[in-house]
Amino acid sequence: MERPIAYDKLAREDRWVRMRAREVAESKIEQALPPFPDLSTQDSIRERVHGILVGEMQAMEGAGRTVCDFPDAGWEFTMDMARQVWDESRHVEIYLRLIEHLGGYPGEFPETTILWRCACAEDAAARVAGVNRGLEGLACDVFNQLVHIAGKLGDPILERAVEFVLADEITHVRMGSKWLTKLTEGDPERRRKAIEFQENIDERFNLGGVRREGDHETVSISIATDVRRMAGFTEEEIERLIKTTQRSQVY
Amino acid sequence: MTRLLAGHFSVDHSARLMRNYRYAVERAMRALGGWIALTPELSAKLLLGRHVWDLAQHADAFGKRLPELRAHAQVSEPASDRVVAFMDALEEPEAPQQTVERLVGVYRVLKPHLLASYHDHLVRANPVYEPPTRRILVGCIDDERRHIAAGETILGHLCVTPALTERAGAWQRRLEGLLTAAGGVTGDGLPPALPERNDVPVETSDDAREFIRLETPTASWPIPEELRAALGAFGDSLLARDREALARWLAPGVLPDPAREALGAATLTSLRLVAFARLGHQRLVKWRLEGPDASVTILSRWAPGPEGWRVAMLDVARIEAPHPALPRR
Repeated sequence: MERPIAYDKLAREDRWVRMRAREVAESKIEQALPPFPDLSTQDSIRERVHGILVGEMQAMEGAGRTVCDFPDAGWEFTMDMARQVWDESRHVEIYLRLIEHLGGYPGEFPETTILWRCACAEDAAARVAGVNRGLEGLACDVFNQLVHIAGKLGDPILERAVEFVLADEITHVRMGSKWLTKLTEGDPERRRKAIEFQENIDERFNLGGVRREGDHETVSISIATDVRRMAGFTEEEIERLIKTTQRSQVY
Repeated sequence: MTRLLAGHFSVDHSARLMRNYRYAVERAMRALGGWIALTPELSAKLLLGRHVWDLAQHADAFGKRLPELRAHAQVSEPASDRVVAFMDALEEPEAPQQTVERLVGVYRVLKPHLLASYHDHLVRANPVYEPPTRRILVGCIDDERRHIAAGETILGHLCVTPALTERAGAWQRRLEGLLTAAGGVTGDGLPPALPERNDVPVETSDDAREFIRLETPTASWPIPEELRAALGAFGDSLLARDREALARWLAPGVLPDPAREALGAATLTSLRLVAFARLGHQRLVKWRLEGPDASVTILSRWAPGPEGWRVAMLDVARIEAPHPALPRR
């Protein structure tokens, strides 16, 4: 079996339209729209949920590749990644049903593969740092806010389902922290590179200032500081993330 | 009373069987994990995603049993090179259009064999001094029955043409031949086939019928009326290769060249809209044109304007032969 696989081998049904994230953002800006869906209307909530669905699908595929690509990384590592595949596959199902619940359909918005590209790092330590800490950390921010907004809108289905997904994501961040440490034990250079990879991802997903510290209703993506603490991010890491969001370039 | 103490397996033999099972299960688990990204169909993706974790737990249980049998923990061991060859062949179909082969290998060949092997082992394992092994086997048997039923449901959904059914059969025979030559995953010969059971396995979280329902495309695209008419006319022009009619729908600066070049090279007899997505106020429309020799996917971005909907971007997303190649072996 080919290990690892090229970015462009990600397989999709015909109903999906794939675009580069930059192209999507530029096209929205040209149309005088925000580059990233806020949560101010039913339409924008549906678009956000659709984006999450696509992210969960790529997270499932990425975790699956990690199980496949690193047979020598240790059995306990494989077990954690296999568990994550199962979790992500249930998340895909949850978000497919939430899309139905919100009156949308899979393929209603273009798919960007930026998350999948991050999941293709060739080193296992970089992959867990980037995916489990960078991307799952982003998921904590997005889901925490969505739970809050769903509660305010009086949508208990959305609120409850996303709350359970958020609980899983916190577990995945913890797995990421554990494996970043274990896989790089005695190899500070490998650790440095993995953390650098994660920080690049954090920077990219600040989305040009879209992710910020602030109130759920006033910020497009609010940094979930409490949830991040629960997931095992240090105060220093949270502080650094907040600082980087204040100087992020336009996406 | 002494009859109850009669046994088929020594401790060493039992440990060897655990390692042999673990080898097949671990490799299958890693293959399933790797295939998720390579498999286009959502129902199959979800199926594979669900079963990776179950297989990991089976491998883990076999691996944890090993030290109790005077062996090293978490070790996988193929029974022979022929078992390795069988697993190599099982892993081989990686192309996006080979989902049927991937599922046939796992759900019609490997898993039914594992189920029969576990069952055969269970009935022969001594009930007095081998309950730890028996308990593991009972759990695996339950899971395998459920997996096979779910896999069969998805395969029934995917094998929609006689050609696909034929491909599935050919690949199954190929793998079964290799498995027989290997003497099964333990190398001890194939176990007796299990009698059919009528009871439906309990669904936990891998309801294949729901995966299929979730995969079903939307019944109707929410296409604005004016755009619907434009898409109809544009689609007809594509199929007819009518350059003038095609150009009428293009926004200033958009060239019809990519589509014209792609369409000019092939005989295409049918067209269908396969994707319809929103990009702000604009719409992304994907068509699939098919003919006896080729299939072409055209992607277009439509923007509303003073003259109505016009194509703001036109691209050929994919050109491929309509019938995927048979597996190599």
